[in-house]
Order: sequence, then C-alpha cells, then structure tokens
Amino acid sequence: MNKIKLSAMTALVAAGMVLSACGAPAAAPTAAPAATKAPEAAKAPEATKAPEATKAPAAAKTTLKVLVHQNPPMVAFMEAFNKKFTEKNPNITVDMSVVNANDLSTVSQTRLTANDVDVIDMFGFANQAQPYMKKVDAPNWQQLIEAGLLMDLSDQPFVKNYDAATIKDAGSYNGKVYEINLGRVSYSGIYYNKDMFAANNVKVPTTWQELVTACETFKKAKIACMTAGGKDGWPIFVGAYGLLGALYPDQAALVEGLWTGKITWNDAKAIEMWTKMQIYARDMMEAGASGIAGDAAPGRFASGAVAMFPGGTWYGPAIDEAKPSFKWGYIPFPGSDKADDNKYLFGKYDQGWVVAAKSPNKDAAMKYLTEFSAPDNYQAFANAVGFIPTQPTAKLNTGIGAEVAPYLANFRVGYEQYYVGPKGAGQFANPWASYFKPFGTYDDPKTLADKVQADLKSGLDAVK
Amino acid sequence: MTYHFGRGWARFIPYLLLLPGVIFYLVIALLPSLATSLYSFTDATGLQGAPMHWLGLENYKEFLFMGQASKDNLDALGRTLVFCFFVTTIQFALGLLAAVVLNQRLRGTNVFRTLYFMPVILGAVIQGLIWSLFLFPLGGPMARFLDLFGMRSEFLGGQPSEAFAWVIVVQIWANMGTTMIIFLSGLQTIPSDLYEAAKIDGASSWQAFTNVTWPLLTPSVNTNLTLNIIGSLQAWQLFLVLIGYRNGTQVLGYLIYATGFGQTSGSVTSSFRQGYAAAASIILFLLVLVIGMTVQYILRRREARILG
Repeated sequence: MNKIKLSAMTALVAAGMVLSACGAPAAAPTAAPAATKAPEAAKAPEATKAPEATKAPAAAKTTLKVLVHQNPPMVAFMEAFNKKFTEKNPNITVDMSVVNANDLSTVSQTRLTANDVDVIDMFGFANQAQPYMKKVDAPNWQQLIEAGLLMDLSDQPFVKNYDAATIKDAGSYNGKVYEINLGRVSYSGIYYNKDMFAANNVKVPTTWQELVTACETFKKAKIACMTAGGKDGWPIFVGAYGLLGALYPDQAALVEGLWTGKITWNDAKAIEMWTKMQIYARDMMEAGASGIAGDAAPGRFASGAVAMFPGGTWYGPAIDEAKPSFKWGYIPFPGSDKADDNKYLFGKYDQGWVVAAKSPNKDAAMKYLTEFSAPDNYQAFANAVGFIPTQPTAKLNTGIGAEVAPYLANFRVGYEQYYVGPKGAGQFANPWASYFKPFGTYDDPKTLADKVQADLKSGLDAVK
Repeated sequence: MTYHFGRGWARFIPYLLLLPGVIFYLVIALLPSLATSLYSFTDATGLQGAPMHWLGLENYKEFLFMGQASKDNLDALGRTLVFCFFVTTIQFALGLLAAVVLNQRLRGTNVFRTLYFMPVILGAVIQGLIWSLFLFPLGGPMARFLDLFGMRSEFLGGQPSEAFAWVIVVQIWANMGTTMIIFLSGLQTIPSDLYEAAKIDGASSWQAFTNVTWPLLTPSVNTNLTLNIIGSLQAWQLFLVLIGYRNGTQVLGYLIYATGFGQTSGSVTSSFRQGYAAAASIILFLLVLVIGMTVQYILRRREARILG
C-alpha cells in the first residue's frame, strides 16, 4: 500500500513538474515591483467598508477576538482597557491573544485566513517596494490588503483623531486607510544608569570615543557595560542601528545606494562601521546577553547589573515598572566621532490597529477602536507604552517622552523600515552586529564586510 | 473465492467500512500534499482571496540556482542531512542501550522507563523552555558547571555550530523515549528459552546479544530507523523555539516554515511566500522519499536475510 501511495505521489509530482515546464512563462517574478503596479493594485478585491461606528450598539452577545504582540506594559494596559470596555459594553466580551513580535505576522496570516480574529495589532506599513528595486515581493501588509483581508477604515470618525501624516505614511495604501497607527518609537538609543554614571564619574557619551572610554571605565570597575534581550534575536543588534544611523544619517538614501551600487558594505566608511560593531558586540555587550529574553532585559538593566542598555523607547515603561525609583536617561547611540552626527534618533511607526475585513463582529470592532481612540484613553495608552504619540492632542508626558523630546526634531525613519533584500541575496546581506563573536562566527571586520557585500551583490546580480 | 460478508452487495461492506478512513486520509493528508505540489509552481501567498499566478519552475530555479541564497539553501539541505545522521545514530544507540538495560529484572525499572519516556509527552515549546533555562548563559546550571573549569559559552545564542549541536542534543533527549519503548516492546517478544538455550551452549552476554537479541530485534530496528530518519529530516519546531531564525543554523524544515509564513525578526516586514515555500517542501519531500525508500529497501532485504 505504501509503495502504491508513494509511487502515485511521485508520479503526480513528476507530472506536475513536466507540465509546469510547458506552462506559461513566469509572470509575477519578472513583473514590476508591486508598489509600482497601480493598475494591478486597483484590481485588488474591494475591502469591506467598515460600518459607521456610532450607528447601533451590538445588541447580541459578541466575542471580539483581538491579537496583540508581547510588550508587557502594552499588554497590561490592554487588559485594563478591555475590562473597562466590556464593563461599558456588557454584550461584548474581549478575547485577547498575545504572541511574540517575531510571530505576529505568521499568526495574523493564519488567523485572518481562518477568519478567526477581528482586531489585530500590526506594525506601521513599511518596506514597500521602491522604483529602483527589482523583482521584490510586496510586503505582507500589502499582500493582506490586496487579498481583501483588511477592512477599509477611511470613513471611520476615529481616524480623524490621529495626525494626517501618520495615517498617510503608516496606515494607507492606494488612498485608503487600513490602519490607525498608535505611535512612533525610536530604537537607536541607549538607556543609561544615572547613578552608576555619577558614582563612577563617567560623562554621558556624545561621541564614539567617549562611549568606548565609558565602557572601559565600567569594565575596570567590574561592571558590565551593556545588556540586551538577545534571546529574541533582534534586540542584540537593535542598538547597532544607531551606529548605522550615525554613519549613514539618510537611511532611505543608504538603501537606494546599496541597491544601485553607489554604496557598498565593504568601502572605507563601512569598514569603520564594522570595526565599531565588532567592539560593540565583543567588548561592550555583556557576556551571556544572548540568553536574556527581550522582555527580561529592562528588568536586568533596572537591577543595576549593567551600566547601559541599547534599545527602543518602548522599554522605558518596563524599566520604570521593574524599579520605579531607578534613575535612567536615554541618549542617541553615539556611533560617530563627531557629536553633531550623533544627534539623530532612528525609529519606526510601531503598533497600530487593523480590522479583519470578514469579521462577523464589525460593529463591536468599530466600537472598540472608537473607544480606544478617545483622547483620554489614547493618552493613557501613550503614557503606558512610552510611544511618541500620533494623536495631535496627546502629550508626550512620560519619562521616556522627556528624554527623547530634545531629539524629536531629528527623528528619522530607520534603515530596517526601508530595506528590502533582493531575491537571491545571501543570508548575511544585512548589517547586523551579531555576526561577530561571541554571538556569531566572525572576528575580522574586513572579512565580514566582504562577505556581507558579496551576499548582497549576489542578489543584485541575480535580479539584473 | 470466499466472501466473508456474503455475496452480492454485501461484498462491498468492507469497502464501505473503510471509506470514512480513506476519505479522512484524502482530505487531511493526500489532497493537501497534492495541493502543495501544485502551489509550488505558483506565487501563492497562502492568503484567502489573494491572486495567484502560474510561475512554472521559477520557485525551484530560485531555490536551487539563484545567487548566494540558493547556496545558503543548499547549506541548509546539507545541515538537514547532518542533523539527520547524528540524531538517528545517537538516538538509535541510546534508545537501544536504555531498552536493554531497562529490560532487566532490576529494581526501579518502571521509574526509569517513565523518566526516559517523559520528554516525549512534552510539547516542543515546553522542551525548548526547559533547555533554554538549563542553558541560560547568565547563571544557568550548564553555565555554572562550565564556570567550575573557568569556561563560558553563549550556548544557543553563540556560535552557530554550537547552537546547532545543542538542538541535536535536545532532539535526541525529546525523542529517545519513543525509540526505547519500541525496542522494549521488541525485546519482550523474544522468548526467554532462546536465552536459556544460548546460556546452556556457553554463550556470553555479548554473544547472546549479537546472536539472539540483535537478529530478533530486526523489526524494531527497522521501525526505529525509519521513524528516526524521517522525523529528523522533517524537524523544525525545536529550531524555532531554541534558536529562532539565525544564520548558519537553519535546517530545511525551518526554512520552509519561516518563508511560507513570513516569519520575521522583530518588526521587520517580510512577505508571505507559500508558493516558494511549497517548492522547498517538495524538495524536502523528495529528499525524504529517496532516503526513506533506500533505507526501507536495505532494511527489508536485511530482514528477509535474517528472519527469512
């Protein structure tokens, strides 16, 4: 029986392969980038338009399924908000699931396809194909819209509570609004322990050399310089995006330069970056950081075990929660030897809300977002998570808000939000500090620089 | 010819009784497998309602021949085979050893059988959590042990080869119980009078094992080898929970998952590429098919030679 099954399967697969060889020529991979395919995008299924939020209360018992990513202060806020919301709307029960940020897109895909979710936390729209990019796939949010899985929120009154630029940049596609984005975050800064700096007579660094000196001072005092939540992967190198930003302040131009060949990862400037990244990974990061979970890192920093913590502004509330009396500051990563180059904060549009187009609980979902978007609720949310608000009436009155306020004029969208790898590029075609020992295998900046550039070029050549 | 269910329409009763099982198998296993092979020739995203285009062999060409990424894919393929080799051989040997020892009339064998089998009933997430804590580099048990010798390691977050080796260890720990139980059930079918006869003929313990136990364990050997090989070639969950998506550690199964479901690092946006992932799945399927059938052929010949 097994033999018959296996033979039948083999025959079918073989037949499929033969037939495919005779099939139509590949259309999609050679087509223009998705973002520039206006006519095709226009053909996308019409997203279900949301009902007017204020029309009628949900009379029957409804369970609203909400999906969010793991961020302890945000999850705590949402639990409190859900409780308040269900008290106000006794016919609605909120069933909220929490997943790791790395798994958010996977779970969103499967639950949207299974029609098993109503309201989803989705990061701001980014990584769209640019005209200079060739043969790249549409980002997942665009795929979801083109599949008709996200609801058009354009006419919802609560959309007007958010600033128009945010709605346009982080939540719109082809002139329609699909996401209300809840805040900007910076990920290119470093938290520092104010008392520890004072006790060791260390100046808050504004240049790379000062940062190196600070770490050496702490090391001599047997204090680990930096920590990160390396177990989740990305936090170990997220601080290094500040290093990247200090050397390449125009991040959109950097991505374009890499695609067009005007910038390479192994030129003199890049070698300087790699050399600094090696120092960051080898000498600054504490041993064992790769085992710390992302949401445990703020607690480790607050415990006073380390002097600094490179990471995003979203960690601010978690640090406060871990130890309310702890005194900390937040500075842009001083990646350059010139202080003037280190005045930028790089970041992204973080969490936002989208609604499943096929949600059977549209009225409840609209009520939920209307309630959430009410200025007082939104302000409480922004205070809880430390986001830079996207509602113009909201105030930046958190601890982290006070720290980033001086740099807000220099806030820029970061590299990772623009970069789309060419198909065929190798796995090292992205500048991560974690390629260096002890987290990776490389211990020579030039060797790694050549490998990264070769991996990128391989993809660029393949899509020519 | 004798028809146990009678003549006429009654002859079809067995087939009718089999029908629900066959339908279940078709719907749950065979049709999705066939659909996957068809998807592998398209740009399917896996999203309901998304447009899909026929690409011919483009996904296969990209996977096998496009730039450095294709070399990385082939590295993952090689890593899958390395993983399969070490997991299969070590798990097989340890499972056999444990079964032979725990088949003796010793005190506490039931306790040890339970202990060895216990990891099997834990899910991959729990298994991953246990080992992440055990290998926690900042004061975990293994870190403290290494510290006694003045050594330290990042374990799962450090050198890719070391992280990969730890996944092999965890995979073996997680599945050795099954291997052991299959061997135990095989050992218990061997009549004790054969051992008595061997003893009377003056056979040592080793000779009894090689001339009585090993040949009569052939069906269990075949079952275990087949299960271990196929299971390790398809492994991916432990890579996900222990290491995540890291250069130099991916095996084909995890590569397929990460590509097909757009798994990302942090908030980096990726694309859903189930067509491409389906092509990788078919390549993995062919690999499992070729290795599985070759192993089956060799094992059946061996079984026929030994047991007749």
